[in-house]
Amino acid sequence: MRKQLLSGVFGVLAALTIGALVLLFQGFNPMATYAALLQYSLFTTSGFTATLTRAVPLILTGLSASIAFASGPVNLGQPGQLIMGALAATLVGLFVHLPSALLVLLCIIASLAGGALWSGLAALLKRLFAMDEFIVTLMLNFVADYFSLWVITYPLFDTSASSPMTRPINMAAWLPDAAGVNESVLFMVLAAAICWLIMTKARSGYEWRMTGQNSLFARIGGCKVDANYVRVMLVTGALAGLAGGLMVMGGPHRFVKGLGANYAWDGIMIAVVANNGISGTFLYGLLFSMLQQGAIGMELVTAVPSEFIDVLQAIIVLVVVAARVSLNVVFGRLATRRKLRETAE
Amino acid sequence: MNLVYGLVSAMLVGATPILLAALGGTFTFYAGMFNIAMEGMMLVGAFCAVLGSFFLHSWVLGILCAIGGALVMAGIFVLFAVFLHTDEFLTGIALNLFAVGLTTFLLRDIFHVKGAFTDAGIRAIPALKLPLIDSIPVLGRLLSGYNLVVYVAVAGTLVAAFVIFRTRFGLRLRGAGYNAACLNSSGVQSSAVRIWSLVICGVYCGLAGAYLSLGSVRLFAENMSAGRGWISLAAVILVSGNPWGIGVISLLFGFFDGLTVFLQGSRIPTQFTAMIPYVATLVSLYFYSIRKGKRT
Repeated sequence: MRKQLLSGVFGVLAALTIGALVLLFQGFNPMATYAALLQYSLFTTSGFTATLTRAVPLILTGLSASIAFASGPVNLGQPGQLIMGALAATLVGLFVHLPSALLVLLCIIASLAGGALWSGLAALLKRLFAMDEFIVTLMLNFVADYFSLWVITYPLFDTSASSPMTRPINMAAWLPDAAGVNESVLFMVLAAAICWLIMTKARSGYEWRMTGQNSLFARIGGCKVDANYVRVMLVTGALAGLAGGLMVMGGPHRFVKGLGANYAWDGIMIAVVANNGISGTFLYGLLFSMLQQGAIGMELVTAVPSEFIDVLQAIIVLVVVAARVSLNVVFGRLATRRKLRETAE
Repeated sequence: MNLVYGLVSAMLVGATPILLAALGGTFTFYAGMFNIAMEGMMLVGAFCAVLGSFFLHSWVLGILCAIGGALVMAGIFVLFAVFLHTDEFLTGIALNLFAVGLTTFLLRDIFHVKGAFTDAGIRAIPALKLPLIDSIPVLGRLLSGYNLVVYVAVAGTLVAAFVIFRTRFGLRLRGAGYNAACLNSSGVQSSAVRIWSLVICGVYCGLAGAYLSLGSVRLFAENMSAGRGWISLAAVILVSGNPWGIGVISLLFGFFDGLTVFLQGSRIPTQFTAMIPYVATLVSLYFYSIRKGKRT
C-alpha cells in the first residue's frame, strides 16, 4: 500500500512536470495554467461541487473496469454499457409515472439492468461459443453507440429540439442538488462502498480476485469459475450502466447525443492507473474529475485548450504505471541485497 | 455492372486502412507482443499526414510525416513496454487514449478548430492508373485507377508474407514469439526483434493513417480512425497473424464497410448500416470460435 502511494505521488508529480514542459514548449505559462486548474476545480464552491458530480461516471466506470480486470474478464465494454444503462433509465423516466422516491429507485434499477444486459450479452457469447469478451465488448460499444443514436433520432426524438435528443424525463425522476452537491454523488459513494465491501470482505470478492490471479488455482480450490465469470460480467456491466443512469437523472435529465463522451474510457484508464484497487480507483477518479473540471476554467483564464487535459491524463497513466513497475524492480533488488547480506553474515 | 464496379471500389477503399494496420499488427503478433496500439498509431498518422501535407504542400511529405508520427507512438510503446516493462495491454490502452487527446489538442492548438479540419491547401494522395492493365476493358476498370496507397497495401501484403516466412529476420521474429528464451540463448536479443517489429508496425499504421486523411478525403476529424484499429486487431487474431488470411479478411470487412456507404441512400436508417462492420466482426469471431472449439 505504501509502495502504491509512493509510486502514485511520484508518478503524478512526474507527469505534471512533463505536462509543464509541454506547456512551456507551446508558449504557455505552466504555473498560471496549473493554478487556474486548481482554482476552478477545488477552490470555488461551484467548481468543487461540479468536480464531485463529474466524478460520478468516472468512478463508477472505473470501479467497473477495476473489478473486471482484477477478477479476470477483460471487460472493455464500459462505454456501451454506460449508454445502455442511460437509455434504460431514460425509457423508465419517460414512460413510467410514479411518486418520486419510487421512480428514482426504478430508474436506478433500470440503469443497472440495462448495463448488465449489455455485458451479459458478451458473457453469454463467451459461455456459449467461447468468443473472447475482449473483442466482443469492444464491438458492442460501437453497436450500442449507433443504436442509442437511432433511438434518439427516430422513435424518441424530441421534435422541438434541433439535435438528436429525447424529451426530458419526468420531474419525479430528477436527482436534486442537496447542499449544492448532486444526489447522484450519494448513490455513487454508496455503490463504491458496496464494491469495497464485496471485494475486500465478502467471500465472493475473494473468489473473484483469486480467479483473476490464477484461474486454475481457484478452480482446484473449489470456486465455480464459470459462474463467477458471468457474475463478474453482470456486476461490472451494471456498475457502468448505473453511471449512465445517474448521468441522465442528475445532469441533462434526458438522453442527449454524445452523452457518454469519453467518461467510460477515462474510467478504464482510472482502473489501469489504480492497479485495479477499489480505493485507488476512487482517489484517481477524483483526481481525473478535478483535472477535467479545472480544464474548463483553465481554458477561460489561460487560453490553453481544454483538450490538454486528455494528453495530461494519458501521460499520468503511463508514468504512474511505469513508476510502479520500476519501483517494484528497485525494491526487489534492495530486498535481494539485504537477504544476501544476511546470509553472508 | 456499375453496381459491381461501385461495390468492388468501395470494398477496396474500406479494406485498405484495415489491411495496412492489421499487417503492422501481425508483425508484433508474431513477435509475441499483445499490441493494441494500432488505433492510436493510425490516428496520430492521420493527423500528421494532414499536418505535413498542409504546411509542406506535398502529399509525399504528408505520408512521411504520418509515418514519423506513428513511429513516435511506436517509440513510446517501446520505451514503456520493452524498456520499463509496463504491461503491454495497459500501454496500448493508454497510448490509444493519448492519441485521441493529443490529436484533438493539437487540432485546436495548431489549426484553431474543433471537430474537423479541412482546407483546400491539403494535398491529397493521387490515384494511380496502372500502365498496362488500364487499357484492358473490364479488368482495367476493376483494378486500375485507385489511390496509390491501395496498391502500396497490396504490395505491403506481399512484403509482409515474404519477410515473415522467407527471411532470417522473419524466422527470428517468429522465434521471439514462439520461445523468447530459446532465441535469447542462441545469441539474438528477442527484445531487439520486438523493437523492430514495433517499428514496422509504426510504418504500416502511419500509411494507414495517411490513407484515412489524405486518401479519398482531405480532412482530419476527431477520432477519425473510428475503431478501425480494433477491427484490424480482431482480423489479426482471427487468422492467427497469417498475412494472406489478413488480406482476405480485410477485403471482407472492406466489403461490409463499402456496403455501409452503399446503403446510405436506402430506407434503412444510417445508424443501423453504420453498425455493419462491427457486427460483421462479431459474426466472424463467432465462426472462428466455433471452428477452434471443434479442433480441440
